Amino acid sequence: MRKSKEIPLTLLAAAAMASIGCNNGPRHCVDAQNHLMPDSYCEVSHGGGYYYVYGGSSGGHFGDSVVGASRSSVSFGGFGHGGGEGGGGE
Amino acid sequence: MRRHTITPRTGWQRKVERVGLTYHSLDDGSLYWDESAYWEFSAAEIDRLEAATAEIQRLALATGDVILDRDWLERMGIPKKAAGLIRETWQSEPPALYGRLDLAYDGRQIKLLEYNADTPTCLVEAAVAQWYWLEECFPKADQFNSLHEKLVAKWKDLLPYVSQPVYFARDGAEEDSMTIVYLQNTAHQAGLKTSGLAMRQIGWDSTNHRFVDGRRNELKTIFKLYPWEWILGDAFGDHALETMNAASQKPVAGKVQWIEPIWKMMWSNKALLAILWELFPNHELLLPAYLDGPHKMQNYVRKPLVGREGAGVQVFRNWAEEGNAAKANEFDAKAAGGSYVYQAMAPMAQADGKTAVFGSWLIDGEPAGMGIRESDGLITNNTSRFVPHLFR
Repeated sequence: MRKSKEIPLTLLAAAAMASIGCNNGPRHCVDAQNHLMPDSYCEVSHGGGYYYVYGGSSGGHFGDSVVGASRSSVSFGGFGHGGGEGGGGE
Repeated sequence: MRRHTITPRTGWQRKVERVGLTYHSLDDGSLYWDESAYWEFSAAEIDRLEAATAEIQRLALATGDVILDRDWLERMGIPKKAAGLIRETWQSEPPALYGRLDLAYDGRQIKLLEYNADTPTCLVEAAVAQWYWLEECFPKADQFNSLHEKLVAKWKDLLPYVSQPVYFARDGAEEDSMTIVYLQNTAHQAGLKTSGLAMRQIGWDSTNHRFVDGRRNELKTIFKLYPWEWILGDAFGDHALETMNAASQKPVAGKVQWIEPIWKMMWSNKALLAILWELFPNHELLLPAYLDGPHKMQNYVRKPLVGREGAGVQVFRNWAEEGNAAKANEFDAKAAGGSYVYQAMAPMAQADGKTAVFGSWLIDGEPAGMGIRESDGLITNNTSRFVPHLFR
């Protein structure tokens, strides 16, 4: 018997959406004194001194201290070509 | 076997999109999924294709042993830094899932064209889209296709051997993304926890010496639709080698399982074709193939040792180049290092001006189904159309 049985695919579309989504972690942008700042401070130049920390918690308001977080030693982008020259499938 | 032309189903685009084949048409509007034709086989012909697939897999396994016993990895152009891990994973047999043999078959002879062992695609169309096409158009006919249940069954087998979630890492075109989403779906149906991410979203935690996702979760089992040759050339390539779980079938703390395992570099490298011929000369399923030139062949195909979708493949007739090879991407060209395999021209199925190649799938080393690609010329490339099949 070579035929496939019924192929349940209801999750395929959902999986596609989930897979294509971005996967950013719980991170906080802080200043040199570990105060919570808007992410934009870490993404554009504000004279330096702003960086992301990961994990931890804060009161949720800008200026609150972020406790229990650690500065990242993680780098990204060391794999992948973004399909600029086609994918790696064959 | 016979090629038939028929009228496509009304609204076929929507129908195939609904089952995941969103890439049914190319950017220029031409078709990739082509249901204006199908191939019909007899049960005996399918039996032959299935048996040939199993036999070639047996030959490939024997060849893997010889390559390692005789230290032939360098001969295949495989980087030295990968050699120890290829040897180790070949022995320890960590999780491996699938592969696809591309076969020439003219109704009489079956010949191996190549083995796509590391990053095969065309899976959604072979496993799912053509199956739904059969059910709607020819419900009383059969199809060489048990891909879906074999994939789910294999993931179930792998449950004790992987860390969860299993991460599914993609890179590149829509076809690759949907292929990996489908594979992730089969793992999910097998009861595994899964997570998807792009290769670029894999982070390297230099403090803890491990790979992490965007939430800083450690990646312990990664299924990648991304060639090993590219991984080795990437900035994180050495980290992948340093942290690879190569000695054990089961998860090991601080180590990463990669699926497909790195030993697949032996089979996806086209030097395999010449080594197969060297070890099993005149085998009925093999074509003459050589690494050091065309020998006495008058009509042959020159293939880069590393390449995909027909890139860099050059046809020679009467020793003269015919047409121009499509340019290989820079990553494959670098990995191939200017080395080639020279393979005899195969007897191909030709009908209605099309040349067909039969992609015969293996799941867990067992024949599992077939997908057919048609081209206007001899070389199957990324514009070659997928045409469904049936047998009676």
